Amino acid sequence: MCLQNFPCQEVERHNKPEVELKTSSELILNPILICRNEAEKCLIETSINSLRISLKVRQADELENILTKKFLRFLSMRAEAFQVLRRKPVPGYDISFLITNYHCEDMQKSKLIDFIVQFMEDIDKEISELKMSVNTRGRLVAAEFLKQFI
Amino acid sequence: MILLQSHSRFLLQTLLNRVQNVDKGVELDYQWVEFDDVRYHVQVSTKNPHIVLLSLSLPIPPPETDFPGGLPSGAIEAIKVSYGVVVQILDPPRDGFNLTLKLNLLKLPPDEDYKQSLLVKIASVREIVLGAPLRMVLKRLGSRMMIPNGNQLIALVHRPKEAFFVIPQVEKVIVVYPMRFSDSIDTVLATSFLQEFVEARRTSGLNNAPSCSWSSTPPLELKKVPPEALSANAGFVSFVIFPRHVDGRKLDRTVWSLLTFHAYVSYHVKCSEGFMHTRMRRRVESMIQALDRAKPDGEKAKRSPNSRSFKRLSLREARTNSNS
Repeated sequence: MCLQNFPCQEVERHNKPEVELKTSSELILNPILICRNEAEKCLIETSINSLRISLKVRQADELENILTKKFLRFLSMRAEAFQVLRRKPVPGYDISFLITNYHCEDMQKSKLIDFIVQFMEDIDKEISELKMSVNTRGRLVAAEFLKQFI
Repeated sequence: MILLQSHSRFLLQTLLNRVQNVDKGVELDYQWVEFDDVRYHVQVSTKNPHIVLLSLSLPIPPPETDFPGGLPSGAIEAIKVSYGVVVQILDPPRDGFNLTLKLNLLKLPPDEDYKQSLLVKIASVREIVLGAPLRMVLKRLGSRMMIPNGNQLIALVHRPKEAFFVIPQVEKVIVVYPMRFSDSIDTVLATSFLQEFVEARRTSGLNNAPSCSWSSTPPLELKKVPPEALSANAGFVSFVIFPRHVDGRKLDRTVWSLLTFHAYVSYHVKCSEGFMHTRMRRRVESMIQALDRAKPDGEKAKRSPNSRSFKRLSLREARTNSNS
């Protein structure tokens, strides 16, 4: 990740993340798509002053689907607190990060990368823990109900 | 509290309070609502501190249920049997309510235990009234009587404008619930909960519990029911109740459990959602802490001037800078 400051070429005195606008092709590099399997993929788009990482999380069944949606919407709404998170995911993906050169100046690069990787692991862990908690609660609730009849 | 209790705690507390202070004249006028649209009204006047007027309003019954005189069939007999001389049914009931009872606290039995259990029973008036038809069916099952009309489907109200179905047979009673939820997340969570019911029944300790099945389409027992009553976005749950489930003291508990099954599932779905929110908030906090670790505090001063880009100041800031 080597981002540098790049004031906007088109409009004077503006400084925009080029990866979002994609106006000039010389400023953008080729996007990289990493697929773990059909359901999970990661898209990395870079430009001279900004980097966009989009993730698609695995959703095996209806329950995982709503848990993922709920959790990622929860995170995206707090995007300001996370700074590097994008408020809306790129279409076709579940969550997106936008890292600009300003972020690289404020924070150590290696720690930032660690954070992103940790974030991705945390999402997976949280979704599976939420699903397990729902199943455990369901079993307990069912057992208590049926025990009344014995 | 995992299971829903059959007596209304507020009502019980109010009654106990009144019984302990039966000589003190006090003006009481309470109205409150419980789950599934059941409303209560309690009134005590200073002139007669030993008389309590209790009114009950029930959820609106859907068209397929039987509500003669504004009350479930058998409710009036059930009240007379359960409460005896302490309670007098007022006709007509108070405006806006299905039932009004006049309680005479002086007629309560003197024995403390008996008095306490009767007060708890009065606080469970909801179970007595709404559960009356179901109780009749299950009592007949317990006594293994022959049923006059054989295999007739009965629709009973448990939620506003929604019914569940009871099919009484000689050796067993089948109870079917169309499970309906208004929120899509509730529906998915409830479906996974309901499937756990079927799974839980299979575990070894619960062999004697009523057999339980879930299906996404209406089961065969409901073929005579009009389709409007059969919309269920979380499927249909069927329980098969046998005489051993309604023997003796178990009858009341079985009636209450079956009457409030939907409310029970709905309550736990909501608890689950609340728990998930708490978890998510905690996870977000820990993630933000991790992000803060990525920001070094001491090293800010060391950064070389070359790598620092100058953020464009807003117009206002630029103006104030030039003025100062």
